[in-house]
Amino acid sequence: MRIRPITRVVAVGAAAALTLTGCASGNSGSGTSSSSSSSSSSSSAGGGATSGGGGGGGGAGKTVIISTDLPLQGSSASQSDSTNKLIQLYLEQVGNKAGNYSIQFKAYDDSTAAKGAWDDAACAKNATDHVANKDEVAVMGTFNSGCAKIEVPVLNRDTTGPMLMVSHANTNPGLTKTWDTGEPQKYYPTGKRNYARVVTTDDYQGNAAAAFAASDLKVKKCFVLNDNQTYGLGVAKSFADAAQKQGIQIAGQQSWDAKQPNYTALFQSIKATGADCVYLGGIYDNNGGQLIKDKVAVLGDNKTVKMLGPDGFTGYEDLLKLPQSEGLYLTFAGLTTEQLVKAGGVPAKLIDAYTKKYGQAPTGSYPLYGVAGVQVILAAIAKSDGTRKGVTDAVFSGEGIDIPQSESVTGKEIKIDPKSGDTTAKDVTVELVTGGKETFLKAQAVS
Amino acid sequence: MTTTLQRPPATGRGPRRSGPGAVARFRWPAGYVVVIVLLFLLYQSILPTLVTPVANGIASWLPVATINECLMWAIMALGLNVVVGYAGLLDLGYVAFWALGGYTAGWLMAAPFNWTWNVHLATAVPGDYPGTHINFWFVIIIAGVLCAILGIIIGAPTLRLRGDYLALVTLGFGEVITQFFRNSNNIAGLNVAGGDGGISSIDGIGTGPFHVVDKSVPQALSIDSTSNTYKILVLGLLVGVCIFVSLRIREGRLGRAWLAIREDELAASMMGVPLVRAKLSAYAVGAFFGGIGGVANASGITGAVSPSGFDFGKSVLVLLMVVLGGMGNVWGVTIGAFLLAWLNGNGLKQIGVQLDSWFGWGAETWLPRYNFVILGLLLVLMMLFRREGLIPEKRTKALLRTPNRTEMESVGADITEAEAESEAAEANSGDDAAIASAARDVSPVLGQAPSARDDGADGPDGVVRADGAGTSDGTGADPAARRRDETGDVSR
Repeated sequence: MRIRPITRVVAVGAAAALTLTGCASGNSGSGTSSSSSSSSSSSSAGGGATSGGGGGGGGAGKTVIISTDLPLQGSSASQSDSTNKLIQLYLEQVGNKAGNYSIQFKAYDDSTAAKGAWDDAACAKNATDHVANKDEVAVMGTFNSGCAKIEVPVLNRDTTGPMLMVSHANTNPGLTKTWDTGEPQKYYPTGKRNYARVVTTDDYQGNAAAAFAASDLKVKKCFVLNDNQTYGLGVAKSFADAAQKQGIQIAGQQSWDAKQPNYTALFQSIKATGADCVYLGGIYDNNGGQLIKDKVAVLGDNKTVKMLGPDGFTGYEDLLKLPQSEGLYLTFAGLTTEQLVKAGGVPAKLIDAYTKKYGQAPTGSYPLYGVAGVQVILAAIAKSDGTRKGVTDAVFSGEGIDIPQSESVTGKEIKIDPKSGDTTAKDVTVELVTGGKETFLKAQAVS
Repeated sequence: MTTTLQRPPATGRGPRRSGPGAVARFRWPAGYVVVIVLLFLLYQSILPTLVTPVANGIASWLPVATINECLMWAIMALGLNVVVGYAGLLDLGYVAFWALGGYTAGWLMAAPFNWTWNVHLATAVPGDYPGTHINFWFVIIIAGVLCAILGIIIGAPTLRLRGDYLALVTLGFGEVITQFFRNSNNIAGLNVAGGDGGISSIDGIGTGPFHVVDKSVPQALSIDSTSNTYKILVLGLLVGVCIFVSLRIREGRLGRAWLAIREDELAASMMGVPLVRAKLSAYAVGAFFGGIGGVANASGITGAVSPSGFDFGKSVLVLLMVVLGGMGNVWGVTIGAFLLAWLNGNGLKQIGVQLDSWFGWGAETWLPRYNFVILGLLLVLMMLFRREGLIPEKRTKALLRTPNRTEMESVGADITEAEAESEAAEANSGDDAAIASAARDVSPVLGQAPSARDDGADGPDGVVRADGAGTSDGTGADPAARRRDETGDVSR
């Protein structure tokens, strides 16, 4: 009666596999993020209260709940945590009120620990919970476009709504405008819009980078790389299209494989095309460091052959530490926190208060945009009758929502187009990496 | 004699046909239906009537969405149980079937993602809605068949491999499938599956006649709280079918062949078990379940599929469900699936919330991050104190508790001494009898050997088996029969 030690083998296998994923989940997290960007290094979790009310403000009017829907675990965790804290701080500053309504805040988590990133089942579950929570009138989120594509149809089908969602970070164009087949109609099964955003979409970023490359860098021939993910493909495509219009020749387009150990061969082939500029459409998490090293090794430094990247490469300390990143041009959809603080006014005050309370500035550039999303929601609630339908209608009918520059936390007027839900503020910042820092170069006009 | 030999294929059926057996036969289905219906009623009618604190407590600890997730994971775990638990083929790439099932749903019941056309077949989706929309139940069958074919394709090259090597190859396949779907936006110039963004807005589960009879049933069970409650019934039915198939197939010729392969592949092949066919069937059946689970997940849980949803972590989680629950035991695996799916989806977070409300630690945010540490610890403790799982399969339990003869030899005892020792150790435990009789169940040839040599004992032996040894636990087998069997084993 010899026993095959299958149990042992399976158990050992499972344990080993567990270790593997445990290690992997740390750095593979935002690989799937289609809105990407700036989760700067590893800052601690921070045990701040991410849920629970900000305390009732005045007694007048009924109480409505607004929520955030962010990945609170994995590589986007610190940024999401900052976003929630900053929003709570802002709500306190405005007295937890919008018009006649008292506002309560609730945070949802759309990630799971096993994945260390947003998870589709968690997104679907959250969407159900948003709808089921009767007092909730609007959602600020999500961080990832993929998650929004799951949640928006669910909120759209809400019989008491549709329910409003305002995102601070979804840059995938398909959510609001004609992009891939069936988009955006398939996200709005009732035919009514209920999704708005306060950030510029990927296509503008590609356009801005192309305009900058043509007019400022005066490059002639660009090679466009992408990381083969939704976000990377989107910005790469829009950059290539816009560049051709600007008279830049596209030497070729190719995907880089994030799991490849080096890219020497790739850049050798690019060298053969004689390109004088390389565009990295993707996010730094997908082995961007190696990509940049090999680019400089093969094609020479970034002065001779220019290198440009989208906001998927911003906010990474590891990237800034690389000597090879010197001279890298980066674009960012919106304005960076530093710029906003420098400009003074509302954003500076909010960031100051945050720094005072938590001892450090919020992580990344998206927390301020999170507050901008909340501003849109609060303005909509103030204009509405306090029901979900009313709040959504406030954004998608008549003039829509307009937050003047003097009040906006992004330092610019926030105007939501009532037809599409897109913001009319199309800021794209061009940054130059120099001396181990992202330095503001110019605000690129977007056509 | 002849009857004894012909008996094995009819295992478990004969004695249960009449009398109390008929009741026993319906015991688990009845119990299962009661559990599912109770769950449904809890959320459908009981919860709204409860006082708010209680209702909120239930809703936050065990939301409907989580119940549905648990049921979906249970389908996956039952599928993997066939491959790992029954046939002993370690599969680290099970997520591949899940993905293919999900994408089948994406292809056959979703809004268009590459080009626009209209195909509608028995679906609740309005006729003017573009895209392919085929009835959920058809899609489930199509996905199951597709996955079974993929299972055979994946299984074929791994037939010669065992243990670690098998695990590595299956792991590779799991990764390959995900990468395939990630790059699927441009395969020979064709957008096959939407690439990294995947396919979104997958139809819900159509309710058809039920909606006609009772208007309060939604026409299609999409993602909202009313539908989620009804989904308990649909997913519950699917899990029930999987449990039924698992249980029945285990008793049959194929199932017993799998168990034989699991315990000793060489011996099984010597006894005439067709290894290739049995192994491929295990992959095919496991994959079929995976396909069902994939469709249930895409249509019922997420409403979208994308490559990021099918990462390696999910393969591991399913495997953990099987191992923690009790490899080979359908009930154990189901419980394991519920436990881990709950912990991963909602449990840890909720425990964090509870700890926060008691101690104010802010555990809600950090506790779920230690998911893997907690699960790993759980697994290590499990292997130390309860190797055979939460609800162990009787067979595995017996095997694990039997002193291993080769180990005894390795410490210097000679074979007969070792045997005497192990016999003495086993004499008063009923478990070893189970092994002996189960071994005979698996291969009739083995059962035949001792009785052919020992004519006198043939009669009682046959009686015992007909009575009690029908199921593999066979508590009724007498020690004498077992000893004979052991001798037969050694002489072999």
